Amino acid sequence: MSDPVVVCEGLTHVYLRGTPFESVALRGVDLVVRRGECLGLVGPTGSGKSTLVQHFNGLLRPTEGRVWVDGVEIRPGTALVREVRRKVGLLFQYPEHQLFEATVFDDVAFGPRNLGLDPEEVQERVRESLQWVGLDPDRFGPRSPFSLSGGEMRRVAIAGVLAMRPQVLVLDEPTAGLDPEGRREILSRVRELHRKARLTVVLISHSMDDVARLCQRVVVLHRGQVFLDAPVREAFAQADRLRSIGLDVPRATDVLLRLKAAGLPVRCDRLTVEEVCEEIVRVLQGNQRWSSSEA
Amino acid sequence: MELLRSLTIGQYVPRASPVHRLDPRTKILATTVLVVVVFLVRDFRGLGVFAAFLAAAVALSQVPAGFALRGLRPIWFLLLLTLVLQVFFGGSSGGTVLWRLGPFAATREGLVQGLFVTARLVLLVVSTSLLTFTTSPVELADGMERLLNPFRRLGVPAHELAMMMTIALRFIPTLVEETEKIMKAQMARGADLDTGGPLRRARALVPILVPLFVSAFRRADELAVAMEARGYRGGEGRTRMKQLRYRAQDLWAGLVVLGASALVLWSGRI
Ligand SMILES: Nc1ncnc2c1ncn2[C@@H]1O[C@H](COP(=O)(O)OP(=O)(O)OP(=O)(O)O)[C@@H](O)[C@H]1O
Ligand SMILES: [Mg+2]
Repeated sequence: MSDPVVVCEGLTHVYLRGTPFESVALRGVDLVVRRGECLGLVGPTGSGKSTLVQHFNGLLRPTEGRVWVDGVEIRPGTALVREVRRKVGLLFQYPEHQLFEATVFDDVAFGPRNLGLDPEEVQERVRESLQWVGLDPDRFGPRSPFSLSGGEMRRVAIAGVLAMRPQVLVLDEPTAGLDPEGRREILSRVRELHRKARLTVVLISHSMDDVARLCQRVVVLHRGQVFLDAPVREAFAQADRLRSIGLDVPRATDVLLRLKAAGLPVRCDRLTVEEVCEEIVRVLQGNQRWSSSEA
Repeated sequence: MELLRSLTIGQYVPRASPVHRLDPRTKILATTVLVVVVFLVRDFRGLGVFAAFLAAAVALSQVPAGFALRGLRPIWFLLLLTLVLQVFFGGSSGGTVLWRLGPFAATREGLVQGLFVTARLVLLVVSTSLLTFTTSPVELADGMERLLNPFRRLGVPAHELAMMMTIALRFIPTLVEETEKIMKAQMARGADLDTGGPLRRARALVPILVPLFVSAFRRADELAVAMEARGYRGGEGRTRMKQLRYRAQDLWAGLVVLGASALVLWSGRI
């Protein structure tokens, strides 16, 4: 559980260096992603989340600092980069915009074919990946990806990354722009991949509810630096710090914070609706007992 | 990957310089004059004066010099080719031979001619990029529209041309960004964009071009709907938020450009 898969050390990235448009996106980021964990990566808009994860598979090269994946340092331009891209599957924001093939099957097969696998293996991987994202390969395989709904297209795109059989799955805002049903569907698929397929997951999200529900650890980026790196309960217990940089806490936690502000002795490190209900019941019962023994 | 972004032609560099503050029409006309002049120059002395004037204009515009020269990067090959061709074939057949390469002879006259033509191209590119560095796309289009307006009666669709140009310029960075993103996304799926023969490389473009076209059409559609939703019906009777107005500085700038041009053309005759 604890051996590192991705390690960043002093990672700095400067875009368009030496031009009037130069911008420093990351400054000295130290980060470890451990095998088997689900890590939430959050931060205000422009804090460098997307930039950071593109270093995980060598799409961007560090201006300064170093990145290791599975114990091997990434040096862009070497054959190793291909190996790394296979290990770390990266799903971009709005991934449905990258679909291009005539059929869903071919699109998902794009990755495995690039790996040079034989047709039976490709076929098997495509079927498996489509099943993981909850799309029936027989029904959806022959359809055009452009005839699908937004949520379905996104699931096809996820399948396209899964077909590479990565060890680490990085998802950049996988639920942005979807309706609640679509969000739930994607999130439960991701949870399943994490729990059952034992994938290491890095989830970038603006929804603290999603992060609270899925992740064990949270890293907060702010202006290109690590602002907070803590287990999810500890992280969300620091509501004031998070709010100071324009972030929020899960809605359920917010309820407890308000109750506490109103004078109820609740503990605020609860994240889901169920946990919060239990906590409220516990406190109310405690109160009752306390007041009845008083009487 | 950031290669695409090093294309600086057509890129606006926001600054508060006197050049930026000029009326776009002044700048468009001045650039036109400079382009004509650079083709009329006949000798190195004239080119020298031109280069000095251009350097002063770049300095005044507060655009970093290195950045101004970056526009040459995409055409360095063209420049080199021009130079080489001129060195070997530029001089008339009876020139002083410097050295031989098989049946070809490099002549002194060819070398001189080559340097001249290359310098002229460099100055041409830098002068025109100075226009786009210091003029935002919207200003540029406004200026064009106003300058073309008198030709409307001859059937020149001034407003439509300007609108097309604004939209094209506005979407270049967006398309570059989009291309970059799609390339990355396909590379993350193991796409190999830079190995293999020409056929393989051409095939490797399909996964990039298809999504790019799809998104370009989607954007065009959205833009059309957004424009119509806000009542756009073409140029007839449209008013503007920012009115273009010639000011004293435009007169001065015009005089300076004309003076410099005269100096450039005249310097060779003494
Ligand atoms: N290709 C690029 N060229 C230049 N600057 C960039 C580029 N991509 C990002 N930036 C800049 O780097 C900074 C970090 O951007 P990044 O996309 O990593 O942020 P983010 O945390 O993913 O934001 P969001 O939540 O909006 O997706 C921003 O200031 C952005 O303007
Ligand atoms: Mg992002």
